[in-house]
Amino acid sequence: MIDQAATRTYTWVKIIHPRSIAIAGIVVSALGFWFVLPPLTQRTILWPVALGFLGVAAGIWAVTRGERRLGWIAVGLGIASMGLGILATNSSVGHLDSVVVWSALFASMLRYATPLTYAAIGGMFSERSGVVNIALEGMMLSGAFFAILAAEKLDSWVLGVLAGAAAGAGLALIHAFFCIQLRSDQIVIGTAINFLALGLTGYLFVDVYGELGTPADIPRIPDVTLPAISDWYFIGPVLGQLNLMIWLSFVLLIVSYLVMFRTPIGLRIRSVGEHPRAADTVGISVYRTRYASVVTSGILAALGGAYLSIGFVGSFNENMTAGRGFIALAALIFGAWRPFGAFAAALLFGFSSALAQRLPEYSGSAATLFQALPYVLTLIAVAGVIGRSIPPAAIGRPYAKQ
Amino acid sequence: MSVTPETPVLELRGMTKRFPGVLANDHVDFDLKRGEVHALLGENGAGKSTLMNVLYGLYHPDEGEILVNGEPVRIHSPREAIDRGIGMVHQHFMLIPVMTVAENIVLAAEPTHAGVFLDLDEAVDKVEELSRAFNFRIDPHAKVRDITVGQQQRVEILKALFRGADILILDEPTAVLTPQEADELFGILKTLQREGMSIIFISHKLREVLEIADRITVLRRGKKIETVPREGATEAGLARLMVGRDVLLRVDKSPPHPGEVLLDVDALSVLDDRELEAVKGISLKVHEGEIVGIAGVDGNGQTELIDALTGLRPAQSGRVTVGGRDVTNESAREHLDEGLGHIPQDRLRHGLVLEFSLAENLALHDYRKEPNSRWGWLRPGRIISWARGLLQEFDVRGGGPQTHASSLSGGNQQKVVIAREVSRDPRVLIAAQPTRGLDVGAIEFVHRRLVEERDEGRAVLLISLEIDEVLSLSDRILVMYEGEIVAEFTPDVSEQELGIAMTGGGREEAEATATA
Repeated sequence: MIDQAATRTYTWVKIIHPRSIAIAGIVVSALGFWFVLPPLTQRTILWPVALGFLGVAAGIWAVTRGERRLGWIAVGLGIASMGLGILATNSSVGHLDSVVVWSALFASMLRYATPLTYAAIGGMFSERSGVVNIALEGMMLSGAFFAILAAEKLDSWVLGVLAGAAAGAGLALIHAFFCIQLRSDQIVIGTAINFLALGLTGYLFVDVYGELGTPADIPRIPDVTLPAISDWYFIGPVLGQLNLMIWLSFVLLIVSYLVMFRTPIGLRIRSVGEHPRAADTVGISVYRTRYASVVTSGILAALGGAYLSIGFVGSFNENMTAGRGFIALAALIFGAWRPFGAFAAALLFGFSSALAQRLPEYSGSAATLFQALPYVLTLIAVAGVIGRSIPPAAIGRPYAKQ
Repeated sequence: MSVTPETPVLELRGMTKRFPGVLANDHVDFDLKRGEVHALLGENGAGKSTLMNVLYGLYHPDEGEILVNGEPVRIHSPREAIDRGIGMVHQHFMLIPVMTVAENIVLAAEPTHAGVFLDLDEAVDKVEELSRAFNFRIDPHAKVRDITVGQQQRVEILKALFRGADILILDEPTAVLTPQEADELFGILKTLQREGMSIIFISHKLREVLEIADRITVLRRGKKIETVPREGATEAGLARLMVGRDVLLRVDKSPPHPGEVLLDVDALSVLDDRELEAVKGISLKVHEGEIVGIAGVDGNGQTELIDALTGLRPAQSGRVTVGGRDVTNESAREHLDEGLGHIPQDRLRHGLVLEFSLAENLALHDYRKEPNSRWGWLRPGRIISWARGLLQEFDVRGGGPQTHASSLSGGNQQKVVIAREVSRDPRVLIAAQPTRGLDVGAIEFVHRRLVEERDEGRAVLLISLEIDEVLSLSDRILVMYEGEIVAEFTPDVSEQELGIAMTGGGREEAEATATA
């Protein structure tokens, strides 16, 4: 009898745990906003306001009891849900229907998120080994250009992807040489590489393609069509026809998680990024590990770029990555240097891009606002307001052997 | 040459290592017999760690040869040292705080499933097996940052055992340990020795060397002076070999002449970083011309007490008076201006700016005052000439006013800190672990200087983890345990009695006396 009572109390305690309350707050806030959107389209502010209020309350309750990160997310979402809910009920149903097409939004989110996923996971390898890689942007850009160049000249998207990856690896090797061998400042070198990539691709682009731009008929990375599921409600439109690289990014996600956290290789990479001297004293080569990690990051970032040019868009123009490498870095930090965290952040940022792309029909200024979202969220994550993202201990510090 | 039981497991012949401008090891010979503990004794900078780093493959020797089991070998990297059965526990632990004990132990020698995936279960089993065999009591799943320093050291030993080491090098292993943890370590080393492990024990503490070692090799300025068996060795004899002259191990001091109260602490409570009460209503008085020692095991609120007394941490309640003025919760600068001198317990983090020159470090408190500055402008010439005088007075060796603090040895760095604090002519001097990590020569200097300051009429509050130091310097001894003063002794108290009070043993008695 006593045992049973104890168990019951225990379960009850688990349910009213700050973490679960915060999650409930997040769900409730999101629901409040969801009710006023198509297809439900409730035309009353009662739902978003009441549920948003509940979400805020749950969030504050959780924050005061130690669950800071999720609690603040609940609070933020609750407020956003009230505000956006009121906005949505005040706009016409026609407008809402044109912006909020869930399946299209989700498919678009995946397309925008994929380049970020590749680059962010690439960045994870480099930064977990202790080398800051703000050159992701440049590596992505050169991946995008050399992929389209090789694909067009050699008439093969496979060779295009390989050429892009090789270009990324080349830039990464330069980054690694300066940062590891010469122990230069990693931020300065990263910035220099970004400019190098921008200048190099810009020059070659004009030199090769002139004012006409890349031709329309370049070989592109194919889409994977799944006729079997194309009729399924919601899932069909989202997953039925996605680029091969998007599916590969899911594989990459799982593989990179396994490598980083379930294999000796990952343990060694992390040890080099946390305490290189400790790794050295047990016989791990710090330099070799860092070289390999940085080059891996270059290859992955360049694959993200290759997807962008010969998968997603089908053309190249100067500076076409337009800061995506930095957003990927933001996703990496927001995701606390973990693959699934970074992927979740990439999806969130991808969603805000997808929304920003559709919103101009409704409001141009709101669209711009959504494009700033990744940076705002990253600032919040790094500043530690909602539970700090803690980087690898030795990040940015060159290692000198004794 | 065939291997006989008499063949040393390890022999170094004529090891020489030069650094720019320094001959760190000068043709040093050293041998280690199977199953012995061989201590390497010397002052800081005598070349002990250099010699061991050469042996462990971290440095490359300029001359000399290494023989393992009578066979000449070349060791270019730690990996090769590990392959030869050599394990090293570094002075600063080589552990990764965010990883678990098991992960740290298996790093670079990981058991795997199918050769690909980490087999942490097997790692955990092996760790448990090893820690059972040596009675280590370590949770393999705990993160290294969450375990005590003593346990971290055991993880380091396990790391070496896991890699099959039969030669274990321990570099200053007791420097970071409490007396109890050091005793436990010695127990562990004796067990390892029985199991056939050969151990090199690096230290500059005479007493522990005499307690644990079978043979003792003394290094001085890079040269081997002598190897002596423990039988017949004495502290005074070893100190002479180490320093090259007779050393005063006992502090010579006259009876104190206490005057008025200069530091008055009343019912002070202080919170630690986790917002728990670390100092629980402590009251104490320090008079002009006396040294009051606070003894205690590390982590019983000493750090928080020091911080609160020097204005680095707010007091939760209570009052601190310096020379009659209430300075509770005033800024650190207010404390200094009221005549407080502070020799911090961690000179590298709180005592010196390592990247600054000695002159800048010496001017760190009084840079705003004449002659260091005038009308808001620093006067580098005056600062340097003033610093030169201080460096001379305090016998700081190894650099002039413009040398970076980081390039000095620990003893000389400490002299710089003491010079700065004492030259401000404070009324109250708080000395926290003033001889941590110093060698006998430097300890002698610091102790003599503290007694001199007392005789000048300052009130000295000494906080130390070293029982010897508290006993030999203090005129009154207070014992701190779990944030409270649990006992007060005169300096003729026995070490045992003091030790019992430090572990909370005397508290009930003290309470009984207080209520009676």
